[in-house]
Amino acid sequence: MTTKLMGQKVQRVEDQRFLRGQGRYVDDVGIAGGARLLHAAVLRSPHAHARILDIDVEAVLDLEGVHAVWTYDDLADLAAPMAEPLPLLIPHPALTHGRTQYALAKDEVNYAGEAIAFVVADDRYVAEDAIGRIRVSYETLPPVVGIDAAREARSLVHEDVPGNIGARLEQNVGDAPAAIKAAPHTLSLDLTVERSACTPLEGRGTVARWEPDLNRLQVWTSTQSSTGVRAAVAVKLGLDLGQVDVITPDVGGGFGVKINHPWPEELLVPLAARALGRPVKFTEDRREHFISSAHERGQVQHIEVGFDDDGRLLGLDVEFWHDHGAYTPYGLIVPIITSTQLLGPYKPHNYRVVFESLYTNTVMVTPYRGAGRPQGCYAMERTMDAIATYLGKDRADVRAVNFIQPDEFPFDQGLIFQDGRELEYDSGDYPASLEKIKALVGWDEFPAFQAEMAAQGRRVGIGLACYVEGTGVGPYEGAHVHIETSGKVKVATGLTTQGQGHATVFAQLVADELGVKFEDVEVVTGDTRRMPYAVGTFASRAAVMSGSAIHLAAKRAKEKALKIAADALEAAPEDLEIVDGVVSVKGSPGASIDLGTVSVLSNPLRYAFDEASKAATQFSVGDPGKPPVAEDDEPGLEGRDFYSPERATFASGMHAVIVETDPETAEIKILKYAVVHDCGHLINPMIVEGQIHGGVAQGVGGALYERMAYDESGQLLNASFMDFLMPYVTEVPDGIDIDHLETPSPLNPLGIKGAGEAGVIPSAAVFAAAIEDAERVDRPALAITAMPISPSELYTLRQEHP
Amino acid sequence: MKITGSNVVPYPVEQVWGALLDPRVLVATIPGCERLESTGEHAYGMTVTAGVAAIKGTYAGACVLSDLVEHESLVMRLEGAGAPGTIDATVRVYFGEAEPGHTKIDYDADAVVGGMVGGVGQRMLTSVSRRMAGEFFTNVGGAIGAPAGAPAAAAAPGVPGAPVASPAAGQVFTAPPKPGIAARDDFLKGIAVGAGLVLLGVLAGSLRRRR
Repeated sequence: MTTKLMGQKVQRVEDQRFLRGQGRYVDDVGIAGGARLLHAAVLRSPHAHARILDIDVEAVLDLEGVHAVWTYDDLADLAAPMAEPLPLLIPHPALTHGRTQYALAKDEVNYAGEAIAFVVADDRYVAEDAIGRIRVSYETLPPVVGIDAAREARSLVHEDVPGNIGARLEQNVGDAPAAIKAAPHTLSLDLTVERSACTPLEGRGTVARWEPDLNRLQVWTSTQSSTGVRAAVAVKLGLDLGQVDVITPDVGGGFGVKINHPWPEELLVPLAARALGRPVKFTEDRREHFISSAHERGQVQHIEVGFDDDGRLLGLDVEFWHDHGAYTPYGLIVPIITSTQLLGPYKPHNYRVVFESLYTNTVMVTPYRGAGRPQGCYAMERTMDAIATYLGKDRADVRAVNFIQPDEFPFDQGLIFQDGRELEYDSGDYPASLEKIKALVGWDEFPAFQAEMAAQGRRVGIGLACYVEGTGVGPYEGAHVHIETSGKVKVATGLTTQGQGHATVFAQLVADELGVKFEDVEVVTGDTRRMPYAVGTFASRAAVMSGSAIHLAAKRAKEKALKIAADALEAAPEDLEIVDGVVSVKGSPGASIDLGTVSVLSNPLRYAFDEASKAATQFSVGDPGKPPVAEDDEPGLEGRDFYSPERATFASGMHAVIVETDPETAEIKILKYAVVHDCGHLINPMIVEGQIHGGVAQGVGGALYERMAYDESGQLLNASFMDFLMPYVTEVPDGIDIDHLETPSPLNPLGIKGAGEAGVIPSAAVFAAAIEDAERVDRPALAITAMPISPSELYTLRQEHP
Repeated sequence: MKITGSNVVPYPVEQVWGALLDPRVLVATIPGCERLESTGEHAYGMTVTAGVAAIKGTYAGACVLSDLVEHESLVMRLEGAGAPGTIDATVRVYFGEAEPGHTKIDYDADAVVGGMVGGVGQRMLTSVSRRMAGEFFTNVGGAIGAPAGAPAAAAAPGVPGAPVASPAAGQVFTAPPKPGIAARDDFLKGIAVGAGLVLLGVLAGSLRRRR
């Protein structure tokens, strides 16, 4: 009997390739094509806000090696829809003033980095030199930088958007203002979170090849939604969907930024390939990624809360201002997630949340791992800490009295979530998680440790933060499972892979369901030729959505295999089992047939090519009195299915951290980091832990190091890895203690929940809490209200609380 | 980006004022300036090669002096653009007497530096412009002290002795060959900021805070 692979720490099949330098990324595509491949470069606005008066490309026209130079004025003639703004991917009724940019700026630029002109040349050097020769005359306009400036609205980003307000959305459950007024205790908090960004090691990149003989376009792009890019390219280039293939090869990290699409270059590169009849490549450089991809996180929050003597929430009233940058291609997803997921594992009873999503002359904001949840978690958990401090209670106890209890699921929070569905939690066990995290971090023993350290002149503090994460949002994913005549299994799902280990976990699921060897299963993702229906990789949804679809598709293939094998073996399908790729009658292993042979039998052939097909031409399955392929059947041993859940499934977890702060330098050191994580049933605990490690590492960066340093004129001053402090392995704790809780989801056949983003969600909250706890040993009034926090900022805070 | 500061040139204000309004002096003393073209009264187009750290390139720029109150103050409006980035600046400049025979120049500038030089090089700009401005004023002092040595002789061929204060529009001035008054030109190019910042530096002197 084959060991069940679900739940096993199966080694990742991807890593041999990745570690040996054999990953194939977009920039690797087309190298074999050599001299025919052309290279693109983009002229980007040096100004955060300016009118374009004139673009002079004269100096480029006769430059040797330049094949095309385009500005906005050229686009309409190349393809009429290219002259329209880029799509607003997710409209929302509250987004009353949504704006998107043009593929190349028309008349005005709204952030430093916005694409203005596009050059295609023999190589990137010539293309960059050509870019340098284009002369643009600007009339600079006053830039709006930062949430305060956006709210003051002394200048407008878009002159037809009053107050710089793109959207205002309010949701209510009960009557929070009245409940707060009537509450025995109230508090208010003002918090800020700064901008950061995904910063994947591989930036954006696109290669396109027009096949004149086939009248088809092939596009390779580093995206989180190949089907989305395909649809966008088809529409914008005026092609039929069936003329466009989009292939997503290995992707060197996405973390959210590549779910936004189409980027200008994702359209301009295919456009150039078609116009020039040569393959064209664009590979984003690091500075371009900083100034022309997307950022996230920046919010200012005001919280009013009313509570009873136990710290039980009676009313929660949250107002926040979300900086969405210059454009809103991804709608209101990020602030909607903040406003709903803020509630975490708690029952506020009465909740009012209102946000304004504001324009600024900065790089636009689209989801970054966590997608608004880190900010929401920060608001809620800082509130919990404030309540505990006010009441003089243990921070864990205040959280516990507010938990949704295990017998209350499904629990409807009464709000509308990002997918337009009810915010209804499917399952969870928050009290059990709390007990686990307290044990894991040593919560109850900490006061003694803190006192002991204080006696040595050392400052240590502990923080705790809880979150609930809606994962696996719809609408659907699909899968195709094909058992070849060799017995090998080819699996295709449409969403893309950025290194998560999909080829491993999906193969585990197929091996389990089909009864084949793990190594015989090969998984392909993100190739529209193999699975044209798909949504994308975001919202911690790949395992839940594609995992479930693959499980269902494997089931379909198995049903068909058993039906054919039952016929061949003259047994009932329910008496058969499949082990290691061999179908046999239970209890009589002599009566068996290889799955490969079953596949041969599934496809009546006229011609013989090999041993397997010879078998198919000689044997006849089915009823000789009927057609070789029955009316309700199709040739081939395949299964295809889709999974579409009613709503998201809600994972949860808790993080705790112990930090030490240096009394002199204010340096912040992590002594212990503990995670309790509940993503339902685990497919591969090693991969889940890897996701947690990666999330914690990004969270450490977001809490202690990373920020987008814009000056008042909207220039990003730290647009390089020399200046933007991404944490190294030296800054990430070398041991992260992880414990799992498995509360299965009732919404999908495997009982799984998403795990991709969880690790980053509580970081700002948990570090603020721990640092504050350490500092309050001698400065009881010190409060950390702005994250991230650097040693310099902590030092300044100390000066303000002598 | 706000820059304020002051600098002293060891010559009377009349001479300093005259030198700073003389394109032949400017083209010879501005670090990295290759070409200066008069485009109107107190208006120049210029070409400057400069670099901040690794970001080097040639900038095409324009400089217009306005609100001239002789020997007292002027406003300089600067624009420069090149492959490495852009600069836009408005500089208010005040002339005074530091001690007899010495001119004190106070300035406050509001500069917007964009593009790569603004993003990657900006943290270098203050220190780079400090060094460069110091060098520039030394050059100007030298030019005033040795008028026969270079600046006048460095004027474009064919227009010797052109009026100092109002060169004809379209008149072109090129930098003198090295060595000369700008003997440290190569060194200065390496640390210069860009067309606009170079001109900022003209008026910058060492970048001391005003208060």
